[in-house]
Amino acid sequence: MSATPSALLIKFPGTNCDAETARALEAAGFTTSVVPVSLITPSHLKTVNLVVFSGGFSYGDYVMAGRIAQLVSEVKLGDSLKRFIADGGYVLGICNGFQIMTKLGILPEGSLIDNSSGRFQCRWVKLKVTNPESPWLADLPEEFELPIAHAEGRFVAPEGKAQEYLDKGLAALTYESDINGSTLQIAAMQDETGRVFGLMPHPERFIHPQNHYDPDWSERPDHGWGYYFFRGIWREITGGRRLVA
Amino acid sequence: MAAAAPERPTYRTIPILALSTSELEALSKSMKLSLSGADMEAVRAYYQEQGREPTDVELEVIAQTWSEHCKHRIFSARIQHTRDGKTEEIDGIFKTFIRKVSLGIMDSKPGFVLSAFTDNAGFIEIDPGLAACLKVETHNHPSAIEPYAGANTGLGGVIRDILGAGKGAKPVASLDVFCFGRPDTKPEQIRAKDVIHPLGVMRGVVRGVRDYGNRMGIPTVGGAIQFDDTFCYNPLVFCGTAGIIPSSEIAKEVIPGHLIIAVGGRTGRDGLKGATFSSGALGTDSHEEDQTAVQIGNPIEEKKVSDFVLSAREQGLIAAITDCGAGGFSSAAGEMLSETGGEIILDQAPLKEPGLLSWEIFISESQERMVLSSAPEKLPALRKLADVYETELAVLGKSDGTGILKVKHHGHMVCELDCRRLHEAPRLDLKATWTTPDWQPLPTLNEATAEADLREILGDFAIVSREPVIREYDHEVQGNTVLKPLAGATGDAPQDGAVIRVDGSSRLLALGLSLLPEWGKTDPYAMGLACMDECVRQLVLCGANPDKIAVLDNYCMGNPHDPAELGGLVESARALAEAAVAYGTPFVSGKDSFYNYFQTEDGPVSIPVTALISGIGIVEDAKHVTGASLRSDDSVLCLLGTATGDLGGSVYARRKGLTAQRVPVGDPVAAAALYRSTHEAIKGGLVLSAHDISEGGLAVTLAEMAFSLKAGIEATLPDGPPAMVQLFSEAPARFVLEVRPADVETLQEIFADHAFTVLGHTTSAHRRLKIAGTQRPVIDADIAGLKEIWKSGLAAWY
Repeated sequence: MSATPSALLIKFPGTNCDAETARALEAAGFTTSVVPVSLITPSHLKTVNLVVFSGGFSYGDYVMAGRIAQLVSEVKLGDSLKRFIADGGYVLGICNGFQIMTKLGILPEGSLIDNSSGRFQCRWVKLKVTNPESPWLADLPEEFELPIAHAEGRFVAPEGKAQEYLDKGLAALTYESDINGSTLQIAAMQDETGRVFGLMPHPERFIHPQNHYDPDWSERPDHGWGYYFFRGIWREITGGRRLVA
Repeated sequence: MAAAAPERPTYRTIPILALSTSELEALSKSMKLSLSGADMEAVRAYYQEQGREPTDVELEVIAQTWSEHCKHRIFSARIQHTRDGKTEEIDGIFKTFIRKVSLGIMDSKPGFVLSAFTDNAGFIEIDPGLAACLKVETHNHPSAIEPYAGANTGLGGVIRDILGAGKGAKPVASLDVFCFGRPDTKPEQIRAKDVIHPLGVMRGVVRGVRDYGNRMGIPTVGGAIQFDDTFCYNPLVFCGTAGIIPSSEIAKEVIPGHLIIAVGGRTGRDGLKGATFSSGALGTDSHEEDQTAVQIGNPIEEKKVSDFVLSAREQGLIAAITDCGAGGFSSAAGEMLSETGGEIILDQAPLKEPGLLSWEIFISESQERMVLSSAPEKLPALRKLADVYETELAVLGKSDGTGILKVKHHGHMVCELDCRRLHEAPRLDLKATWTTPDWQPLPTLNEATAEADLREILGDFAIVSREPVIREYDHEVQGNTVLKPLAGATGDAPQDGAVIRVDGSSRLLALGLSLLPEWGKTDPYAMGLACMDECVRQLVLCGANPDKIAVLDNYCMGNPHDPAELGGLVESARALAEAAVAYGTPFVSGKDSFYNYFQTEDGPVSIPVTALISGIGIVEDAKHVTGASLRSDDSVLCLLGTATGDLGGSVYARRKGLTAQRVPVGDPVAAAALYRSTHEAIKGGLVLSAHDISEGGLAVTLAEMAFSLKAGIEATLPDGPPAMVQLFSEAPARFVLEVRPADVETLQEIFADHAFTVLGHTTSAHRRLKIAGTQRPVIDADIAGLKEIWKSGLAAWY
C-alpha cells in the first residue's frame, strides 16, 4: 500500500479522549492530527479520509450532551461535513462524539439520553455485531467486549424506527444485556452509506490486551478488540476507496 | 486621583500601631484573619519598624500566608512531648519525622527522587528523562458545609497542583479517599443543627468528584471510604492526582523582568478566605456564615487551562508556573515573587463582576486559575495559544528583583511587603502527651460462629464493595488503566491498588494507599507503622519494585492545642518515620489538616488522628501485574507472615464490641525484607495472583480472591494462634499468594527467611470457601453467596 490514510480529530473544549484516540488511530495505520475547534476551517476536510469526534464532555455537556459542539461545528464547517460525506469521506464518533453526531443529523434519526439508571457508569460490556457487513466491524468477531463510560448513552428513536434500524443493519452493534435502557440495546449506529459511524463504547481504551480487566484475557495475543475496530476501517479505506495523497 | 478611580476607595488603612494585644486579637476576630495574639503582635512589630499602618490588603495577605493551611504551623511547631511520663522536645514534626528522614533515604538512592518538598508535588524518576509526581490534598471543611462543591473543587484544586508542578505536569490518574459518618446514622444521633447527614455528605462528595474528574478526563483509579461515627460532623475528603513530565521540565525559575501572567477563570467574590476558614474549627454557625468560602467548580474551564498549560510547556513558553489555590493571587504571585519581588497590578485581573475591593481580588480563591511566569517575548505565542484553547490570559505584572511585593490598584499602592519577612511567621510552642492505654486480655472466642462472623464482616460498611461509587468514576479514560479498582475474571473483584501505563515508557506506575483511623483511636504509633506497611505492601503486590516507591503523608486531626490529641499525632509521625527508614520509602510531599472538630450540643467532637499514606511505585514490566483475584482452579495458596494474637482495631473487634484490645505492632524491618523476596517471586513469574490481608483479616482476603469465581478454595489454618485470631486478625505484613503447584518448592527457597505457609489449594470441584482450623472445619460457604453479601452492601445506601 503506497499511501497512509489520514484522520482529523476535532477537539472541543472538554474533549478528553483525543490523545488515546489519536494513539489508537496511529497504531492502526492512520496519520492523525488533533485540531482544536477554534482553528477548524472547511479546508481541513479536504485533505483527510476520516473525521473523528472523540469522547469527552464537549463544553461540559451541561445542556444536552453534544448540543453546543453541534452548533459550533455547524458554524465552523457549514455544509462542508455533509459534502465530505457525500464525496466518500468517513466519519467516526465515539461516546460524546456519537452524541455530537446524532445532533448533527448525519446519522439516522435518534438521540442519546440519560441512562435509565440515571447514573454515569464505567464498566466493560459484551457487544454483539448485528451487521457483519459494516466496514467498521469487519475485523471483529460476532461477540466481543469494550469498556463504556457514559451518563447519556440510552439510544432512543422515533416510534418503530429502532427496529427498522436493526433490520436494515444501521444499528450495527448492540449490547448483549440491557445496560443503559437503549431501545433494543442499540450501542452503535451507522448511516445508509456505512461510512458514518457512531458508538457509545470506547474502542480506543482496549488497544492492549493488558487493558482488559481479566489478566488472563487471551482471545487475541497481540492486541485488544479496540485495535481491530480501527484496523477494520483502515483496511476499508486503504482497500480501494478514496485515498488522499 | 487617577481618572479611572472608583467612587469609593477599594482599600483602607487599618490602624494597629496603637492597639493593645487584646484589641489586636479582637481585630483579628472581626476581620476573620485567624491570627493569634502573638501573630498580631509580630505584625504590629513589623509595621512599627516600617513606621506606618498596614492596609487591609496587607493584613489579608499576611493572614493567608500565615494560615495553618498555607504555612503548616503546627507541623513546624516546637513540641514538648510527654510519653508515658518521659518528656522530650521535638524540633518540629515535619523537620524531625518527615524531611530529615526522607533526605536521608534519598541520599541512599541517588537519582530516584528528582525533587521533594520544594514544588507543588515531589517527583520520582520513571525512566531516564521521564518523571512522575503525586499530590494529595484535603478538602474537609468545604465538603462538610457543601459536599458536592467542596469535593468538586477539592479535586479541581489538586489537579491544578499537578498542572503547576514543575513547568506543568500532565495529570494521568486520580485517587479519592473519604471518611464519612455511617450511612445508617439515625438523625437524632446528630447533636447539632444544620449538620448534613452522612448519606447526604457521601452522595454529594462522590458526585462532586465524579463530575470534576470525569470531565477533566483523568481516570479516578483508586480510593477508599471509611465509615465511622467520629466523622459525622467532620467528614474527611482527600483528593489526589498523579502526573507525568519530562525530567528536563521539572526545574523552574522566576527571573527578574519576566511577566507574571494569570490564565483561566475570572476572579470573583467566591472563595473568599478559604485558607483562613479551613484553619479553624467548624461550628453550627459555619453552615450559615462561611458559605462564601466554598466555591462552585467549572471543570471545563480547567480542562481548557490544562490543554493550554501542557501545550505551552511543550512549546517552551513557560519559565515558572504555580496554581491559584488557597490565598488566590496573593499566595500564587506571592510564592512566585518570594525571592525576586515584583509588581502586581490588580486592575489587569479579569473579574467576574465589577466593584471588587482590592483585597478581594488579591485573595479570592476563584477556581480554575493558574499563574505563570514567562519572558516578555513569549507573550504573543502565549496569547495565541490561549485563543486556540479558548481560555483567558492576562498579564498581572512582572518580577523585578527588589525582593518587595508591590500591589497596585487604581494607581494606589495597596500592598507593599518584604517578601522574605512575609514568610517569617512566629513559631508555635505546643505541648503533647501520650499515655499507653491499659490493654484488656483477649477473651476466648467462639469458633462455632466463624462462618456467620465472616458473613457479617463481608457486609460491614468497612468491607462491602465500593462498586456503586467506583462505577460512577471514569477509571478507563486516557486508555492506560491496566490494574483497575475492580478486576479479575468477572471484572468486579477488589484489587490492592491501581496500575497505569505510562506514555513513552515500557514501565508502569502503581498507586496505593492506606489509612486506619480505627487504629488511631487507641494506638497511633501502631497505626503509623501499619499505614506505611499497607501502602508499600499494596504497591509491591501490584508489581512495583520495592526499591522504587515514594510516599506522601496527609494528616488529619482534631484540636492540636489539646495535648492528648497532639500526642497521638506525634506518636504516629514517629512510627511513620521509623517505617519510612525501614522500607526505604521517602516522603516526597504531604499536607495536613487540623481543627477537624465540631462544637456540638454535647461538647466538641474530634476525629481520631488519621494519617493517609499514599504511594507511587514503579512497575518495571507489565508482566509483574497479576491482580488480586484467583486465576486458576489448580493452584496452591500460600500465606506469608504470621498473625499476632492482637485483634485491636479490627473489624471483628469492632463488631464484637471488644474494647481496649492491643493493636498489632508491625516489624517494618522484617516486612521490608519480605517484600524484596516477594518482588523476586513476582519478577520470576512465580505468582499468579496476590492479595493483601488487611481490613477483615485472612478470611475476607480468601473470600475476595475467590470473587473471580474461577475456583473453590480448600484451606487449613496452620498451628499457632486460635483459629478466630488467624481468620480475623488484621496484623500487618501479611498476604496470600496464588501459585502453580510446581513452583511451591522454588518459592519455599525464596521465602526461606520468612513465615511461609502452604495454606491450601484451589479446586474445580466446587465454588465454596472451605477453611479448616487445626481441629475442625470453621468455614464452608458458597462463594457466590458471600459475594452477593459483599457486593450488595453499599448499593442499598448509595
